[in-house]
Amino acid sequence: MRNRGLAHTLLASFFALFVLFLYGPTITIAILSFQGPEGGLTFPMRGVSLRWFANLFETQAVGDFGGSFTRSIALACIVTGLTVAIALLAGLAFRRRFAGATALFYLTVASLIMPSILISLGIGLMFNIADLAPTWYTSALGAHLTWTLPFGVLIMLAVFNRFDRSLEEAARDLGATPWQVFRHVVLPLITPSLIGVALFGFTLSYDEFARSIMSAGSDNTLPLEIYGMTTNVTSPVLYALGTLTTVFSFMVILGGLGAVVLLRRGRIG
Amino acid sequence: MTRAIPAWLQATPLALVLGVFLLIPILTVIVVSFWDYDQTRLIPGFVLDNYIDALTEGVTWKTYLSTVRFAVITWAITLTMGFTVAYFLAFHVTSTLWQMVFFQLCTIPFLTSNIIRMISWIPFLGRNGLINQALQGLGLTDHPLDFLLFSDFAVILAFVHLYTLFMVVPIFNTMMRIDRSLLEAARDAGAGFWSVVRHVVIPLSLPGVAIGSIFVITLVMGDFITVRLMSGGQSASVGVMMMNAMSLLQYPAAAAHAVVLLAVVLLMVAAILRVVDIRKEL
Amino acid sequence: MKDTTSLGRRRLLKSAAAATGVAAGSGAITGFPTIWAQNIKNVVLKQFGTGVSNQNAIGDKVKQDLGFTLQMTALDSDAVTQRAVTQPKSYDIADIEYWICKKVFPAGVLQPMDTKKLKYYDKIVPIFTTGKMTPTSTIAQGTAPHTVGYVEGKNSTKFSSKPTEWFTMVPTIYNADTLGIRPDLVGRPITQWKDLLDPKFKGKASILNISSIGIMDAAMVCESAGLIKYKDKGNMTRPEIDKTIAVFTEAKKAGQFRAFWKTFDESVNLMASGEVVIQSMWSPAIAAVRAKGIPCVYQPLKEGYRAWGGGLGLAKHLSGLELDAAYEYINWYMSGWVGAYLNRQGYYSAVLDTAKQYMKPEEWDFWMEGKPAAIDIMSPEGKLMEKKGTTRDGGSFATRMGSVACWNAVMDEVKYMVRKWNEFIAA
Repeated sequence: MRNRGLAHTLLASFFALFVLFLYGPTITIAILSFQGPEGGLTFPMRGVSLRWFANLFETQAVGDFGGSFTRSIALACIVTGLTVAIALLAGLAFRRRFAGATALFYLTVASLIMPSILISLGIGLMFNIADLAPTWYTSALGAHLTWTLPFGVLIMLAVFNRFDRSLEEAARDLGATPWQVFRHVVLPLITPSLIGVALFGFTLSYDEFARSIMSAGSDNTLPLEIYGMTTNVTSPVLYALGTLTTVFSFMVILGGLGAVVLLRRGRIG
Repeated sequence: MTRAIPAWLQATPLALVLGVFLLIPILTVIVVSFWDYDQTRLIPGFVLDNYIDALTEGVTWKTYLSTVRFAVITWAITLTMGFTVAYFLAFHVTSTLWQMVFFQLCTIPFLTSNIIRMISWIPFLGRNGLINQALQGLGLTDHPLDFLLFSDFAVILAFVHLYTLFMVVPIFNTMMRIDRSLLEAARDAGAGFWSVVRHVVIPLSLPGVAIGSIFVITLVMGDFITVRLMSGGQSASVGVMMMNAMSLLQYPAAAAHAVVLLAVVLLMVAAILRVVDIRKEL
Repeated sequence: MKDTTSLGRRRLLKSAAAATGVAAGSGAITGFPTIWAQNIKNVVLKQFGTGVSNQNAIGDKVKQDLGFTLQMTALDSDAVTQRAVTQPKSYDIADIEYWICKKVFPAGVLQPMDTKKLKYYDKIVPIFTTGKMTPTSTIAQGTAPHTVGYVEGKNSTKFSSKPTEWFTMVPTIYNADTLGIRPDLVGRPITQWKDLLDPKFKGKASILNISSIGIMDAAMVCESAGLIKYKDKGNMTRPEIDKTIAVFTEAKKAGQFRAFWKTFDESVNLMASGEVVIQSMWSPAIAAVRAKGIPCVYQPLKEGYRAWGGGLGLAKHLSGLELDAAYEYINWYMSGWVGAYLNRQGYYSAVLDTAKQYMKPEEWDFWMEGKPAAIDIMSPEGKLMEKKGTTRDGGSFATRMGSVACWNAVMDEVKYMVRKWNEFIAA
């Protein structure tokens, strides 16, 4: 048991270090977002100011945060919804046999492997040949799905292959319809995994660069916009954006946790 | 609804999306890889020049070697770190709430755009960066360490930073499915910490390890932006090589490289699946 | 349908002429009070290019002066080339460089531009029409803009060696590039391109990481060091490419370079953070470093400059009212406001006469004549750029553009060059 205590301390410290490592760039970004009005994207700090947070809401020399940010969030939400739905359905399908299952599985894996820039190029060309104008909500949506779906499907496969079928059988023996079995037995058990798929989907889509380059059409998503902005003088306003994103995510997650805690308390009480 | 939906119908949305947005682009790439091109135009046709060029040049092999090296080193590091973190979260954090909190904590940095994070590595690792200032402040070195940025070290550091979570999540998932009573039984039988890890946890986490490895290896093999930015454009990767061709509209050359890359990565994945059949073992 | 549009266009041109007449007097274009002005407001023109010239200030001014919407998308340089060729539907106006035009125009995604409809055609600096700054000057090496500036006819994609009535693109922006240095850190005078490879700057040098431009930087250095004599640096032979790459591979292996840069911003960050003390750079990037209070000089060199030029091209699908609006936009672009805006950032505009009208005489003297600033020089955003008394690095327009050694280029051996460049990166 003492051994376990030591292991626990070591593992906990390792985890703490890992988190610190993950936050290395975030901390740098946080510090530099308070750069003085004359300062740049690198050290040294030239004074301290809130200039760049204010600047975030002004018109930039090049590019537009508002529009691209809205587009990226909207796209990420659509991608998340579709990924969860399609991956869940596919996960259910893969529990049984159907023609082409193996081919579809390998196609899913190939989707993960295919270099992103080529998917992007291929989709861009395909739209051009089909005489369609590429947009973020058609071609880029497709491009993002080829990225988020393999993750979603693989996670769902992992979930269902370890799923205890006896629970379903019990429900069926009690006369439940397939829908009732799904709704009241399967769904509650896999909800945490679905949340995981959703999180993956959102993060991957929101930050996807390579698959968007050739598929986003006339309007840039946020990563493209930021990269485009670096073709001119950029300022610590980028860091201010980073810091705000981090703070905002913290608040959303704290809010979510608060809700969970409250719900649990309510249930117990 | 009383009857079950047929499986093929449930799989249709996935098949449709992948068919349109993956299969057709891949086929396009394959077709284009056999085209000819000159300074300004693509010439439809069937030539093997692109493949011959790609496969007979020393630089291709060198670049693949360098990319595979990045992939293997990154894989080894992310596997070690990812396994340790997943182990901690699965077996040492007992409440699901805290597990969730810790996972969220790990995702937050990734909600800041990667491009911004990449830029911030310069002030973090650079000559006048945070790390070098800290090291010099602590008296550990009297001059800034150059190798921290614009080097292979920096590339691997960034990969590890980006992709360790891709290892943690699937390993954690499989670990959560390990029957706790097995561990208890092993412990009761007198197995020590390492023994339990080696003989119980590792074998049962293999499917997660396999999935994580597929994620990490494919991500590193196809990367172009991390290698370019973190090495300061001084290291080669297959992705960078393709980008160089694409930026001058030499699509057939890039396409041939892509097909070769696809084949190489598929082989690597097949090798992983040979060791662990994730579909059966999951 | 055809008739109405041509009628509309005639009316448009007339009103445009009238409006500019007013503008010349008042110094500001206020709009076009015709029926046309009603329809044109609904027009949205989509332009894309790098952030160098796709600046929001220009779009805002278009809305104000012309009434229609110019939507601008900034992309990195690689994406610009590819989007131009593979997604012609995603834009109306392409803002690209001439060396890229050499690859893009033959793809048939742009339509030639009728020079008769360009009001300021006669005032465009001759660099873009005949290739010569003055009738006696020699044409620099590389893809000189005039060599890809014209096509043979209205439906042609074949470049014409002589001026015709059909422009591939209208020139808008150009500059002469050289090495930027940190005078506080180099510790000695820099006079030649070969100084880039001075072992003194080991681990502190950089060049551009766009293969076709980077290799020209390399060629400038090799020639300056007397290692290679090129027939045309913009169109190297295989042995010349081999030798150039060999010289730079050796330097790279010896650790001469800290990093290669690809976007404007990277060059600024490398210089401002002190990671690099000598590198090829762009003029506004130097200004951006200096704006942070860090000394930085755009060093003129004995061998001259590597120049580049950009322009606006019309997408093939443009027609009718949109095409009219596009021509109107281009004529507005050349009418001075944008020219002054670009000149004030250290670039040059293609029609200098009109830009001059929008600049203070002191500004003109500083930026174009190379005279010491008689007043504090401000950036277009109103920030102090140069204090009174300073002189522009490299001097006047005539001196700088007159000493261009070569233009950014796509060479015939581009296939081979990319292969060699990949070897260089992998070394």
